[in-house]
Amino acid sequence: MSSNPSIIDSLKPSGDPDVDLRVRLGEVDASMRVPAMLFLVSAVMWLLAGTAFAMIAAIKATNPDFLGATEWLTFGRVRTAHLNAMIFGWGNNVIFAVAPWIMGRLCRARIRHTNILLAAGVFWNIAVTIGIIGILKGDMIGVEWLEMPAYVTPLVVLTYALVGVWVIIAFRWRQSDHVYVSQWYLLAAFFWLPWLYTVAQVMLIFEPANGVVQSLTNWWFAHNVLGLWLTPIALAVAYYLIPKVLGRPIHSYYLSVVGFWALALFYNWAGVHHLIGGPVPAWVISAGTVASVMMVIPVIVTGINHHLTVVGLHKEGWASPTIRFVVFGAINYTVVSLIGSTMALRHVNEVTHFTHFTVGHAHHGVYAFFTMIMFGAVYYMMPRLLFREWPNAFLIKVHWWMCGLGILLMVFALQIGGWFQGLQMNALTEDGTPVYTFLQTVENTKPWLWARSLSGLMLLIGHVAFAINVYWMIFSPRTQDKVTQPTLLTETTEQA
Amino acid sequence: MDWSQYILIGFVFASIFFVAAAMALHWAHKNGQLSNLDQGAQTIFDDDEPMGEVTDQFPKKRKKRAPRDN
Repeated sequence: MSSNPSIIDSLKPSGDPDVDLRVRLGEVDASMRVPAMLFLVSAVMWLLAGTAFAMIAAIKATNPDFLGATEWLTFGRVRTAHLNAMIFGWGNNVIFAVAPWIMGRLCRARIRHTNILLAAGVFWNIAVTIGIIGILKGDMIGVEWLEMPAYVTPLVVLTYALVGVWVIIAFRWRQSDHVYVSQWYLLAAFFWLPWLYTVAQVMLIFEPANGVVQSLTNWWFAHNVLGLWLTPIALAVAYYLIPKVLGRPIHSYYLSVVGFWALALFYNWAGVHHLIGGPVPAWVISAGTVASVMMVIPVIVTGINHHLTVVGLHKEGWASPTIRFVVFGAINYTVVSLIGSTMALRHVNEVTHFTHFTVGHAHHGVYAFFTMIMFGAVYYMMPRLLFREWPNAFLIKVHWWMCGLGILLMVFALQIGGWFQGLQMNALTEDGTPVYTFLQTVENTKPWLWARSLSGLMLLIGHVAFAINVYWMIFSPRTQDKVTQPTLLTETTEQA
Repeated sequence: MDWSQYILIGFVFASIFFVAAAMALHWAHKNGQLSNLDQGAQTIFDDDEPMGEVTDQFPKKRKKRAPRDN
């Protein structure tokens, strides 16, 4: 097999995957350099754009007149633009940078067909750009997490297909005997997302189901984007980087495998807990609640593994930007998941539903867990791909403290404020009339919303610090010290 | 379409999902992926990035140590 096989060669079922093509890790890194940079540069731009949208939306919550006269920037549009810029602009771009890199490293084979990834990167960013403009313009679809107008669907499908094909090729030509738990998570995620997306598109947009079935499909899709796409990817990263950086294997590999299969077989049901109290057959809700509570098993299993791998190595972990971010994310995975399972109980949900508690929970999951882990992955990946050191340690610390404290403030503010909001909305006097008028309950959330805006500002500062460091590292002329530490980078060789 | 048809379609999709996961699990078992797990956990390390070595630090500390290494 030549070192530059054609795509047809790579997909041919008769190809011999046992040919020895095992390469050193440095070589895998080098082959991933260009596509990863494309995705990463775009991811950081979307992160900044998404933060700007978020700030506008947050300020509007306390000062509704702010930019209120511009129809493009009304709350409904700008909040949706924020969500889509973050999930699909930042989240997917950074996933497309990090996930193939980890997959390549674990498969121990040179990354084939990086041009597939490059094409996917270009299509993807065009799709998200058109999608966000469409949302701001007023073309959004009223289905949460699927708001990008239908005219970007073909591009989205094309990108998922390209990345999916790439992952399958990478896995098929792997040179490692053992399939590491991160590979399972990655493979599963890249299989699940296109499948979720296709079903949701068909059942919600092209041949919309009627009535309640629509909202069931909506929440099945939206929650699974979180649980079967963002979660497995972030867990794959944590399962790879925590042991890798600390130089110590996972505490109990057996448990990690149990955790993966529990997620794979049962998570799918959990999403309908978003419709507790809605006009949905009671058994569907009960099934969703049971599945949500069952998720405690993989969560505890994963938590035990991540946390016990770090125990005793706290000093080393604190000295590593990667571990700071990844472990912060891992801790929050445990916490956010347990809170999530609790929120799926009917009596708890009675209070939290329709309040800021849910908003806090969403940020807890997508930011404190997923995004923080991806930041950690970027800190580990970039020096290896670019053969350069991070230009500035101070900026990393600013990023870490601002984002770490900022997101904690946001989660506390929204969840405590949201809990009170829920209690006030439900409070009844003895004769059954509400204690608070609706307007009073809204007014009472204001201090918490100010705290949310403040936390947004902290995150913005953190993101700017991160962006400066990333762009500085990528685009500065080659005058910096080259990396000298042997543990950081390995020389590339042609021979394994 | 009425409810029962949706449930049917949903059931088919859920079954495909479950069967796919179950088949993957079966393959993993047949392929020996579920045995020898302790060894599996160590596959992420090699001579270039061996076990027992911390591979990431803040950049400043590394620079300070660089002259001593030379």
